[in-house]
This record gives sequence, structure tokens and C-alpha cells, in this order.
Amino acid sequence: MTRRFSLLMLLVLVAIQMVMPPAAGAQLKVVTSTSDLYDIARSIGGSRISAKHISEGYQDPHFVEAKPSFVLDLRKADVWAFVGLDLEIGWMSLLLDGARNPKIRAGGTGYLDVSKAVSVLDVPVGNVDRSQGDVHPLGNPHYWLDPENGKRIGRLFRDKFAELDPAGATQYGDNLARFEASIDAAAKGWAPQLAILKGKPIVAWHTSWRYFATYTGVNIVGFMEPKPGVPPSPSHLAGLVETIKRTGAKAIIMEPYYARKTADFVAGKTGAAVIVLPPSVGGAKGLDDYLAVMGHNIATLAKAVQ
Amino acid sequence: MRDHWHWVIGIATLAALARPGLAGAQDSTRRSNPRLLPDISVVADLLGDLSRRGSTLEGGQRFSVREIEVAVQAPVDPYFRGDVFLGFSDEEGVAVEQAFLTATALPWGLEVRAGRFLMPIGKQNTTHRHDLHTLEFPAVLQRFLGAEGLKGTGVHVSKVFAPLGFYQELQLTAVDRFGEFDESLTTAEPINTNLGGLGFSARLRNYVDLTKHANLEVAASAVTGKRPQPFAGPGAVNALPARQSVVGLDVTYRWRPLQQGLYRSFILQGEVMKQLNERVTRPGYEGPTGGFTGWYLFGRYQLSRRTYLGARFDWLDDPDALGQRLTAGSGYLQFFPSEFSKLMLGYE
Repeated sequence: MTRRFSLLMLLVLVAIQMVMPPAAGAQLKVVTSTSDLYDIARSIGGSRISAKHISEGYQDPHFVEAKPSFVLDLRKADVWAFVGLDLEIGWMSLLLDGARNPKIRAGGTGYLDVSKAVSVLDVPVGNVDRSQGDVHPLGNPHYWLDPENGKRIGRLFRDKFAELDPAGATQYGDNLARFEASIDAAAKGWAPQLAILKGKPIVAWHTSWRYFATYTGVNIVGFMEPKPGVPPSPSHLAGLVETIKRTGAKAIIMEPYYARKTADFVAGKTGAAVIVLPPSVGGAKGLDDYLAVMGHNIATLAKAVQ
Repeated sequence: MRDHWHWVIGIATLAALARPGLAGAQDSTRRSNPRLLPDISVVADLLGDLSRRGSTLEGGQRFSVREIEVAVQAPVDPYFRGDVFLGFSDEEGVAVEQAFLTATALPWGLEVRAGRFLMPIGKQNTTHRHDLHTLEFPAVLQRFLGAEGLKGTGVHVSKVFAPLGFYQELQLTAVDRFGEFDESLTTAEPINTNLGGLGFSARLRNYVDLTKHANLEVAASAVTGKRPQPFAGPGAVNALPARQSVVGLDVTYRWRPLQQGLYRSFILQGEVMKQLNERVTRPGYEGPTGGFTGWYLFGRYQLSRRTYLGARFDWLDDPDALGQRLTAGSGYLQFFPSEFSKLMLGYE
């Protein structure tokens, strides 16, 4: 009887431990899929969280190796924040299954699909299938490239961190206010460059730049990929060359993890410049925070299309 | 087992039937799976054999649908996840390749799975055949574990831990039997009458990041169980249960630079296995005794975004040929038109 009671108490204690929020004073352990979510999480969480990210800023986030070493971080995470909209579909479930952490599984208190905070572009209509390439059926996931979405992401983190750590709610709110103010201040500084960019035609490698285009006002007149994830064919490149000449597009923007040989070929035929823009924090040396990435990309592109 | 040069072409295509999306919905309250549909995928594995001296494919066909795999996967409730993999093939009709429930809410980082699953023995045994970087499993796996790998129906328990600072995982299984039994062999009583007749396995996996771009995995595995072995005795009994065990070591080195990872990667993998058989001294016993060893070494280099070049060397003391030494070399060229289709040309 005593042994059974002791065992029952032990099981109850284990169950309580699993559902209790972190002890007062303990940092929330946050793991994010991308370096951008990591930086925004740190901005909001401050000293009350410890954060790590899975993919690097110079790495294609669609294709991340689900390394077992990532499981070790996820095992102890209180929050798993991911971009969603199937950006991480190739690797996320492997890591969450390996982590065996009920807090960060779907439905858990720490499972945070950040896409629910933003208005999603490019939601396909009609039939959706793989003949359309590597299409994202729920919409375009590269939303962090619009600083207005950066604010929305910040608000989501504030709400989640405050839910799990009520004692830190005031600090999270203050950090959010500072974060939003820094975006507004940066936007004022970008105004001259945004004026240059407005309406300018450009070509992009992948559909990842749509939110950036919405914010900056550039007009993406064509993509190097005929369909998402499909390499360009000679006929597609010929059509793109014509489009660039017709529209006067001066820049082909692409991420650092794509080979630029094909883009250089099109640039050679048209006089456009190939501009490598890092899409994420850490994507290039010195771009160690969210606003640094946005500012760099806006300034670099404005200089190219001027 | 192949004993002559041959060319084989493999094509594997994946069709993932995505859950229906909500067309036009852009608000933040959109639901991604309002009808609670499971994830469904279909993989077609098609082969062609262009060997000069006859096809080595099952049934002697030159072209065959080796397998169509249909997977249906979904959470069952907050506590379990279900995975079912059905295989359809010309030769075997329909087969339940895997079907298991996984408990997802256990404490202490435990994972428990019950049902039919690919047994965690060695590195490649848990790889679906259409996902191999080669056209077939290595010779040592085919001979020691089965032509299509070793599956078991039972319970699988695993735990991840890191007391030494790197990833380690211990996987234990208890299954109804060790491998496929020859249906023509009849023992005096079913082998699993006693619990000692079940199959048991253990695998300790160790993984370490050497750098951000390279990693190393080293694992040790063992499986044991009783199998019916031929026996020339009186009456209807033509087999005796005899213990057979396989122990192995596998090493995998991977390199993929993070920034150029779409275009460059390299994998070097090797496994060595030893099959140990119970020394049955009863007169009339005709099953294997003693031990047999086999190993393979495989390497694959990525030439471009869509193209890979690989080679494998197999070495085996063949238990089906009284331990005769078998060696084989093979080369493979893989081309991925997209993430969802693969063409492979193999030469052995």
C-alpha cells in the first residue's frame, strides 16, 4: 500500500512537473526555426529568455538537415517558434518527433506558428498540385521581409512569453514598445531610399521577395525560376531577357545560397546588375540583427536601381 | 544475388497529396486542415534492367513496378500518432510494410512504438528502399536481415540522452519473430511459444557535429532470435529452432556546407555485420552453424544541384552459399528533376 502510494505520488509529481510553467526566475528556453525569429524573440524576451535558432541566415531554410544535435536543444525548449506555411515542412516534424517534448508539439503550450500573426500573400486559388513546382499551398512564407510583419511577430512573441511567464509580462511589453519604436525610427531613415525604390522594376530569383516588394514598393517583373524550385530553362531565360529589356529592370536580386551563374548570364545579356541580398539575420557579415538586414537590403537595392 | 555485370535504371517518384488548403484565405485565423485529414503520400518505385545476360529483377522482368508505397500518417489523439505504410507490387500484391502507433506524451524523453516497423539494426535497415542512394540494399543486409530489410511486429522503446555532451540514443525492441520464416519449415511447436523465442534488438546511436558543415555518426547494433532451420528428421517436423544473432557497427560521415548546401555534399558510410549461429549438434540438423561476416562501404558526392555520383563496395561471406566469399562493386548516377522525382542509373 505504501509502495503503491509512493509510486502514485511520484507519477503525480512527474505529471505536474511536465505541465507547470518554468519556476520563477528561470529563463524561458526558446528555439526558433530561423535566425530572424530568433532575433525578434531576443528583442522581446530580453534577459528573461534564452534563445537558439536552427537554420543559419546564409542557409536556405527550406532545406535544413534535421541533425540529431538540434534535438538536444528542442528537448528542453519551452517554446518552438517557426515560420510555418510549410517553410519547414521538410525537416520540422523529424526534429519535433525526435525531441519528444510535449510542450512544443502541435497543441502544446510552446508550439508557436508565427504565421498566424501575419496577413499572408500569394495564397493559391483553384487547384494546387506539384505541377506548379514547390508551391506553398497555404501562402508565401517569407513574410518577415516586411518590417510591418516584424512588428506583428514581436506582438505574438510578447503574448506567448507573457502567457508562459506572467511575471515578465511588463518587461515583454516594454521590450515590444522599444522594438516597434526602433522599426519606426529605422523606417524614417529609409524614407529617401524607399522613395527611390518605389515602382522600380526588378527581377528576383525566387518568390521569397514578395513581402519585401510590398513594403518597398519595387515591382517584381519576373522571376529567374519559372516555377518555385524549378531551375530556369533556356526558353524561360530568353523570355526573361526580353522582359528586362522591355521594362528597364536594373537589378536581379537573389539569396546568397543560390549559384549566381545563371543570373550572371542574364545580367550579361541585359546590363542588369546581380545583387545578392541576404534574406535573414546573419546572412552576411555584420548583419547581426533584423533591422541591419532590412536596412542593408533597402540601401543596396536603392543604390543599384538609382 | 547478382553475379554478372548489369545496368539497372530506377525511377522513384513521390506524389504528396497535400491536405486541401483554403483558397483565397488570408486572415490570421485560417485553419490548415479543417477536415482533419491525415497526411497521405504515394511513392512509385519503377525499375528497368538492361543487363546483357538476362534480367535480375524479380520474375525476370525487364521493367517492373517494384513497389508503390502509400503512407497514411496522422495524430490519433493527444497521446498517440499513427503511421501506416502499405506496399503494392507486381510480385507480392499488397503488404502491410509498417503500421505502428507511437506514444507522443511520455515522460523522461521516452518514445514507445507498437506495431510493425523497420527494426533499428544498422544504418540502412530503417531506410525505405526507394529512399536508398543505391538501387538495392547492400549484400550483407540482404543476406543477414532479409532482401527487403528486417521488419518486426512488437514494441520499440527509445530514449535520447546526452551525458557526454553529444547526442546518444538507445533503441530496444521486442518482436514476434526474428525476420521472415520459410513457410515450408515446420517446427514441433511455434517458435514464439516461449518468450525466449521472440526477437530482441538493441542499438546505441552516437552522433556528433564535427563542424557546422560536417558530422559523424557511430552506432552499434545487435539482434537475436530463434529461427526455424532445416532438419532432416522423422515425421512432419522438418525444422529445429536455433538461435541466430547479428551484431554490427556502422559509421556515417556527412559533409554539407551550409551556404552551398543546395549544390555540394558528400556522404561516406560503412557497416560491418557478423551473423552468429547456434551450434546445433543434433543429427540431421542442416541449418547454418558458426559465423559469417559481411561489410560494405558507400560514398556519394553531389556534382550539382540535381546530380549525384555514388559507388559502393560489398564484401560478404555468403551464408546461403556455405560461406563462399562474394564481392561486388557498383556505381550510381542520380538525377533529381525536382525534390519529388528521382532518376537513377546503376552499374554493378
